[in-house]
Amino acid sequence: MPPVSPFRRTRGATSQYRRGRPDALNFEDLLRPQVEYLYRLAWRFTGNVADAEDLVQDALIKLYPRTQELLEIERLRPWLARVLYHQYVDSVRQRARSPIVELVTDAEGEDNPLDALPATRDGPEEHAERSGQRERILTALRRLNPEQRAVVTMHDVEGYSLEELETMLETPLGTLKSRLHRARQRLRALLPMEPFSARERVKQ
Amino acid sequence: MECRDITLQLDDLLDGRLDALQRKSVQEHLGRCPDCLSLHEHAVAVRAALRELSPPAPPPHFVDQVLSRATRTVGSANPRWRPVLGMALAASLVLGVALGVFFATQPSVHAVSLTLDRPETVRLMFTSAKPLKAATLSLALPENVELVGYGGRRELSWETDLRKGGNLMQLPLIVRGATKDDLVANLSHGGSSKTFRLKIEVDNTGKDM
Repeated sequence: MPPVSPFRRTRGATSQYRRGRPDALNFEDLLRPQVEYLYRLAWRFTGNVADAEDLVQDALIKLYPRTQELLEIERLRPWLARVLYHQYVDSVRQRARSPIVELVTDAEGEDNPLDALPATRDGPEEHAERSGQRERILTALRRLNPEQRAVVTMHDVEGYSLEELETMLETPLGTLKSRLHRARQRLRALLPMEPFSARERVKQ
Repeated sequence: MECRDITLQLDDLLDGRLDALQRKSVQEHLGRCPDCLSLHEHAVAVRAALRELSPPAPPPHFVDQVLSRATRTVGSANPRWRPVLGMALAASLVLGVALGVFFATQPSVHAVSLTLDRPETVRLMFTSAKPLKAATLSLALPENVELVGYGGRRELSWETDLRKGGNLMQLPLIVRGATKDDLVANLSHGGSSKTFRLKIEVDNTGKDM
């Protein structure tokens, strides 16, 4: 786990959280305002809902025993983003090492599960174009390695500066810059210009 | 300024990291070089598309559920795993497992190869088109296969809610010797049930999967 010093609460800062209070209360008070943010970030890292939910859950389970340490953190959000980042990278590495088996079943005695799929409200073409674009971007992101994907997400989307990421991820600025450069190159290759420029023209 | 000099500076331009003089120089180059201008415009468009990619809202009660599970004050929340049949669930498994349930179509035979005497996580993926409340999942482990944290226990069972979409169950297993039978997972819900069989092969060459 990374050290906490860059984010440590300044001496004398007042807090609604107290030592001596049950950890569960402090933990929930501290984390409740952050969970949706972590979920969004986790979704951007993983690209799907199930993995995002698991990632947030696993990170929170690891964080709970560190509640007293969390009380000292002044800027909790970037600190939590860093924890989630490490959890994400670890989970991808672990997944790469472990086999996966897809179990498929027809649910005997159940209604056809396909019936439960929601009807689309868009016209078919509109829906296809919108979901097609979204899917293309998600697919391209999946082709990045986890570090590249994380730096693109945290820098280009979430707006953390490279200097902030240097501290948060404990990674040298030069490494981050070249990682970001390679990620952008890869996305450029994976996402041809046409759909974007065509879209811009439509907007005008 | 040549095109090859500008590649990294295009990143800095995009990120607002150039001073006025550098920016003017890069912009002058873009003004006369359609190739570099196209690269820059593409980078701007890709970044805009990434920012437009909005995450879905978390499921209802997600915040309560994850906080509750993290602090183990499971009660009113809706835990994804709950032990049944009087079995005490080891913390290691609770923490290590993420379950969802899946329903798709054609049945098939599966096999995994595990290294002898080394804990390895087998991940079982289920896809469900709809959520399922209070399904029961039972596992029967073949001889010489252990679930980490459960000692020699061969039969395990949980009652669980299954969510819509892809769900992953992670089973940390150790193989202690040759196995004859399959690992059998049985999923039952509302009077119907389905059995999955997983063949476990032993790879004693010490090689990773």
